[in-house]
Amino acid sequence: MTIKYLDKYPKNLAKSLWVLKPQWTVLKLFAKTVVHRPVTVLYPYEKEWVPENYRGRPGLIFDKCVGCGMCARMCPTACIKLVDAEDDNGKTVKRPQVNLGRCAMCGYCAEYCPVDAMTVTPEYELAEFTRFDLIYGPRRLNYEGTTEGMKVKLEVTLPSDIENGNPERRVSLFDLDRPELIDSKCIGCKKCAKVCPVNAIEMVEKGVNEKTGKPILRPVIDNGKCICCSNCVDDCPKDALEIKEVL
Amino acid sequence: MSVVVEYTSILDFIGFNSYSLMDNQYYPFLDEYNLPYAISYGLWKIIGGTIAWLINLIFPGNPVSEWLMGDGASTLFALIIFMLIIFIVVFVCTLISLWMERKCLGRMMDRRGTMIGMKGFLQCVADGLKTFMKENTIPGKVDRMTYMWTVSLVIGVSVLVACMIPLSGRWFVVNYDTGLLIVMAFFALAPFFILVSGWAQNNKYSLVGGMRAAQLMISYEVPMLIMIATTALLAGSFNIGDIVYAQNDNVWYFIPQIVGFITFFFCATAESERLPFDIAEAEAELVEGWQTEYAGMKWGLIMLADYFRGYVACAMVTIMYLGGWTLPIIGDGPIPEIVFLLKTWFVFFLMILVRAALARVRPDQILNIGWKVFMPLSVVNLAIVLLLKVGGVF
Repeated sequence: MTIKYLDKYPKNLAKSLWVLKPQWTVLKLFAKTVVHRPVTVLYPYEKEWVPENYRGRPGLIFDKCVGCGMCARMCPTACIKLVDAEDDNGKTVKRPQVNLGRCAMCGYCAEYCPVDAMTVTPEYELAEFTRFDLIYGPRRLNYEGTTEGMKVKLEVTLPSDIENGNPERRVSLFDLDRPELIDSKCIGCKKCAKVCPVNAIEMVEKGVNEKTGKPILRPVIDNGKCICCSNCVDDCPKDALEIKEVL
Repeated sequence: MSVVVEYTSILDFIGFNSYSLMDNQYYPFLDEYNLPYAISYGLWKIIGGTIAWLINLIFPGNPVSEWLMGDGASTLFALIIFMLIIFIVVFVCTLISLWMERKCLGRMMDRRGTMIGMKGFLQCVADGLKTFMKENTIPGKVDRMTYMWTVSLVIGVSVLVACMIPLSGRWFVVNYDTGLLIVMAFFALAPFFILVSGWAQNNKYSLVGGMRAAQLMISYEVPMLIMIATTALLAGSFNIGDIVYAQNDNVWYFIPQIVGFITFFFCATAESERLPFDIAEAEAELVEGWQTEYAGMKWGLIMLADYFRGYVACAMVTIMYLGGWTLPIIGDGPIPEIVFLLKTWFVFFLMILVRAALARVRPDQILNIGWKVFMPLSVVNLAIVLLLKVGGVF
């Protein structure tokens, strides 16, 4: 009867002893976990290693920030808002404030920051008792010990670059785009020069208005200084500026 | 009367009869030395001597002090302490095997296991306290008398059989000539109560669990008994001590009886209702099997009784196949109890290994394996032993 029962299984003895294989596997695992340690990390007491560019809460280097508002513009959850803050000289400047209750920790703000003032930080224990406590002001966003890896760089390669035999990565997206003036629309109101956070726009006289006798002013953009924050494009009352790709 | 007055110091009372414990006219173990009884006798000498001294201090020359120091009273109280010692040792061993199961199973699953105090050992204590503090719920429609009696008997029989396992030639309760048979008989008694309990609970899950326990018992008892008879045949005795020393004289019986060793190991695993044969208490399909209606302290004690039975199964494997408390060259050695417990825990570790590695078995598969594989294998084992015996090897 035993033979009849065993006939159901393959004749190969090694296959008939399939019972032994999982036991050998378990014994190996047991030996491994006794000598080393199990995979479990006892979280509150010991923490896992985090990489340098770990996307925890956003951080801010206050003095480096130019207040261009690129982070607020790029934020997918709209948790960043530009608020007035006092810098070290007592001057009122615009700086980002992050509502961590809405922050998705995507790190876009750090990627898109043109001056690398916005960073990611390895801080992920952010529980607070009230929702108000979750709003991080510009000074509170500061993180001690910012390293180079935390300033996430946006590195892109364009398909056109590869086609032209230049597959090197462009370090910054802001080398690609520049604001360009449509001369016929401009009324010379100087608003772009006022909103530019890095003073890259200079109003230059281009002749005299025949009717009124006043000088005709046109913005000239310093490509070396421009960070392509598109504040000037947004604020232009006549839509005379637009972002164009520089290739 | 005047005898007691002669004692003045407490030390006179503690060492009241200076002759050895074997000379006591009521010594319960005939002519054999018993270590736990010796310990308890010494303990009672200290405790009872102090009490007698205190009473004598207040009422000099009273008959109670004299009675406390007499042969009969000291044997009686020493036996009570003896029972406590035997039970506490078995209890602690079972708790250690429980701790071992949790910790080893954790490591085999690549996790940590219990971690509360003393590398997780105190988790058992915490669990016990927790179950003792739970409400004692009894469902309305159960047959109350049977319900309570069967659970007491399941637990009681399990504790009894665990206490009856001798740890060495000097650590035993009763030295029967049919020791192995009696251990086996008590070991097989619990599934019967499980069946009755499953009926009494008036619950379909419990009834199915109880039925499964009965079917498991019926199909695995037979090969186990055949293999016990085989071992007794090889050793020439049912006495546990004789079997162990017969193995010490020749070889450990797992060498001639390798088939029987493997078969008995799995049968014992099934008989103590451990995974992968836990169809009676099937957490996966029946809620908690036959324990469904038991709450709080009763459930905790049932769980403990399960581990008592697991400990007994491992101890039987150790006694029958692994040479009991003896070691190959040393023989008895200075601490045979520790050797026996270490071997028992090794067998328990193998059980944990099987539990971690194999998937649970269906009830019909269990019956198939029991009747069509283990039963013929045990007969084959018997035939091998008969050949060896007739051929004059043993």
